[in-house]
Amino acid sequence: MSNPNTDLPQATEHRLEELEKGLFTSDLSVNEFLLIKEVGFHPLGFVMGSSIYHTGIQTRKWGQSQELTKLTEAMYNARELAMTRMEEEAAELGADGVVGVRLDVNYYEWGKDAAEFIAVGTAVKAEDGVSRLNQLGKPFTSDLSGQDFWTLRQTGYLPQGLVMGTCVYHIAHRGIGQTLGTTGQNVELPNFTQALYEARELAMTRMQDEATRLGASGIVGVRLEEKSHQWGSHTIEFLALGTAVTKTSDDITLAKPTTIISLDN
Amino acid sequence: MDEPPRDLPEAAQRRFAQGAFSSGLSVSDFAACLEMGLEPVGLVQGFCAMHWGAFTRTGVMGRGVTPFAGAQGGWVRNYQCPHGMVSAEHRAWGQNYEQTWIEDAWREGFNSAYVRMMEEAQELGAHGVVGVIDTENPLSDTGVMEFHLRGTAVKLLDAPSTAQTPWSTFLAGQRLAKVFEAGYAPVSIVTSVASIRVWAYCVTEYLMEGTGGAWAGAVGTFEVDQIVNAQTKVRDLARARVRATLHGDSLHGANMSVSQREYAKGDLELQSRLSGNRVRRFKDFDPLPVAQPTVRLS
Amino acid sequence: MSAIRPGDAHLRDEVRRALAFLETPSSAPATAAMTSDLSIDEELNLHSISWEPVELVSGISLFSIPYGYWNWGQGEIVAASEAHSQAFATATSRIQSETAKAGGHGVVGMHIERAIHPTHVEISLVGTAVRPVGAAAINGTHIFTSDLSARDFTVLMVAGWEPLGLATGASFVFAPRRSMGAVIQQQSQNVELTNFTEAMYSAREAAMERMQRDALAMKGTGVVDVKVLEGPMHFASHAVGFVALGTVVRLAKATHQPIKPITVVSLNDLAVGFDAQTLG
Repeated sequence: MSNPNTDLPQATEHRLEELEKGLFTSDLSVNEFLLIKEVGFHPLGFVMGSSIYHTGIQTRKWGQSQELTKLTEAMYNARELAMTRMEEEAAELGADGVVGVRLDVNYYEWGKDAAEFIAVGTAVKAEDGVSRLNQLGKPFTSDLSGQDFWTLRQTGYLPQGLVMGTCVYHIAHRGIGQTLGTTGQNVELPNFTQALYEARELAMTRMQDEATRLGASGIVGVRLEEKSHQWGSHTIEFLALGTAVTKTSDDITLAKPTTIISLDN
Repeated sequence: MDEPPRDLPEAAQRRFAQGAFSSGLSVSDFAACLEMGLEPVGLVQGFCAMHWGAFTRTGVMGRGVTPFAGAQGGWVRNYQCPHGMVSAEHRAWGQNYEQTWIEDAWREGFNSAYVRMMEEAQELGAHGVVGVIDTENPLSDTGVMEFHLRGTAVKLLDAPSTAQTPWSTFLAGQRLAKVFEAGYAPVSIVTSVASIRVWAYCVTEYLMEGTGGAWAGAVGTFEVDQIVNAQTKVRDLARARVRATLHGDSLHGANMSVSQREYAKGDLELQSRLSGNRVRRFKDFDPLPVAQPTVRLS
Repeated sequence: MSAIRPGDAHLRDEVRRALAFLETPSSAPATAAMTSDLSIDEELNLHSISWEPVELVSGISLFSIPYGYWNWGQGEIVAASEAHSQAFATATSRIQSETAKAGGHGVVGMHIERAIHPTHVEISLVGTAVRPVGAAAINGTHIFTSDLSARDFTVLMVAGWEPLGLATGASFVFAPRRSMGAVIQQQSQNVELTNFTEAMYSAREAAMERMQRDALAMKGTGVVDVKVLEGPMHFASHAVGFVALGTVVRLAKATHQPIKPITVVSLNDLAVGFDAQTLG
């Protein structure tokens, strides 16, 4: 795989050139558009990145719960590539950041063990001309909606990057079952508890490592997703996702909410 | 058998050692937390995987000559055939009984996960845990039920850390802020389950089949007492159990659900689950003015 | 993270006070225990008109339908309609007596679960008993039940109306049969199947009429939030069920009070709004 930072396809370059002339495209709704303008940002264009990745095969031991490091790496690298390409598109536009990022995985019939990882979002730029690039000199990324972006700015925080951590784990098929069959009781299975705990913690730790690298003070909106993809029910990917943030101001400018009764259905 | 894990796994320790906080709260809930002076310190979680499914005890019932004696301390009600018929096909007795072993297993699974989540919170020096989410999932075909609880640990700004167990609540964001403003302090999340098995006797069987009228000597509609009794009891048990944990506090935002499963004809299992926030009143209610009605222009 | 400035100082003081109260060893609860499945918004709404939640209450009933009633026939399936109305009435009287025992004056936000099987009808009602703050208990028969949310209840009361109870009507009928000759004859034509129209029409009318009869018996002057649930029975496609449900209301004050809503423009997109529940 060649360096993803320099190899955006020709059509992309062309599309981005047009955007640089002042036209903007965005999948933001009108509401999101207005709220982003409200906090001093202007949308530049709809940006995306994609990577079709072949996930290698790793043997799993029937009776053992363990992390499948090769698969973990594949899942992580593929998403990272898609994200990096999207950031690259955004940088090309001179953006300070990307909001409303969505990460998707597609499987195609023609590609066995291959998956397409896609990242899409809207590149935005601060209107006051002050750079809001993150610590690594790249545009920030965030999966926050326009509404959430506005709210977050009211609390004095700025997104630094969409951070993630993943862990593909194989859960043992049997082993403990045999000892239990005879007791006929419901008892805790400490091995299972440990395995699931460990897998999720690994994903979260990796996510947090990314945030630390960005010099973030915290991560908001953490989601934990569990997916079996195409590996069968005993192999699960634990994915932790969130937006790393840093504080740029001590002021909370969120007005006290007014209590209302909405008469709309 | 290994001891159940009482300590945090190594990965969790590593995660907590890092500087950045993580929070499972949405941005608006996060903003509301800061408004309240509660600072998120980390996403905390607890697990418990339980062996599940080998305890339906179909063997206990069968069509024995006498009713099942009931589990230790469990609630039982017997129904006797009024027809005076003795036949292998005739259900001469019926029974509603509490499946205490299921309730116990559920309680153990939930409580272990809860205790572990609270341990994580204490490790972080938190005062409370907000936005708790609980799930109980069967782990594919493994015969294992996983209890997973998670929430966001928070610290009260500029307050010394405390040795007390942190408080917890399912609520977060503006809803939690409003709970405080309404004069409640969150104490803890509470849940309970009740499980009742119904073994129909002849009268119930005929009524459910629609042939009850013939036995009653009249055609028409009749209430099916045995099942109504079980349905009522399963809700009563869950409510009584939660009430017993309140110690005079209130239950806010309760959520009751009942599921039903039919193992075989005339062999039903009812399970109810009640969860909510235990809250304590710290000041009298001073009612807000009636909220302004609005109509959205969209 | 350092100290947070401005924000809402009053709210922060309240939070401090509340949490300090938890830590005082003898923080005996000031009031009697209450259980409710209302959201905090609903509770604040109730309090704003001086009502309060008291207890989570429920009522269940299950009535049998004699076997054979769903077999092909004509006209109304009387036993099914009867079982439905008996089960509803019995479950309602049970939730009313639980409410009376708890000291409530009515039930709001009632969840109604209905299950109709060939040989039985099951109705389960769960809701929160409410009363004017500190009011004395009243007789079970005067207790209202309603599936209106506490929010709807509040707006209704502010406008000078009161709920009296839930009115229901059910009607189960057989779809008429077409003769073989008619089927062949109509095969290539666009014609109204008048006997079908009539049967469905009258069944729907019957359900509505029964609901209205309920409403009049409660001395109501209107029924709001009427829901008509209809469709073929899943176990008998030749039978169709109609159920009408609604809250009976009456003017409690001398005249209707205008509520004068203000208009707002929301900047929230319905699709994007998510809360902690979506986590995981």
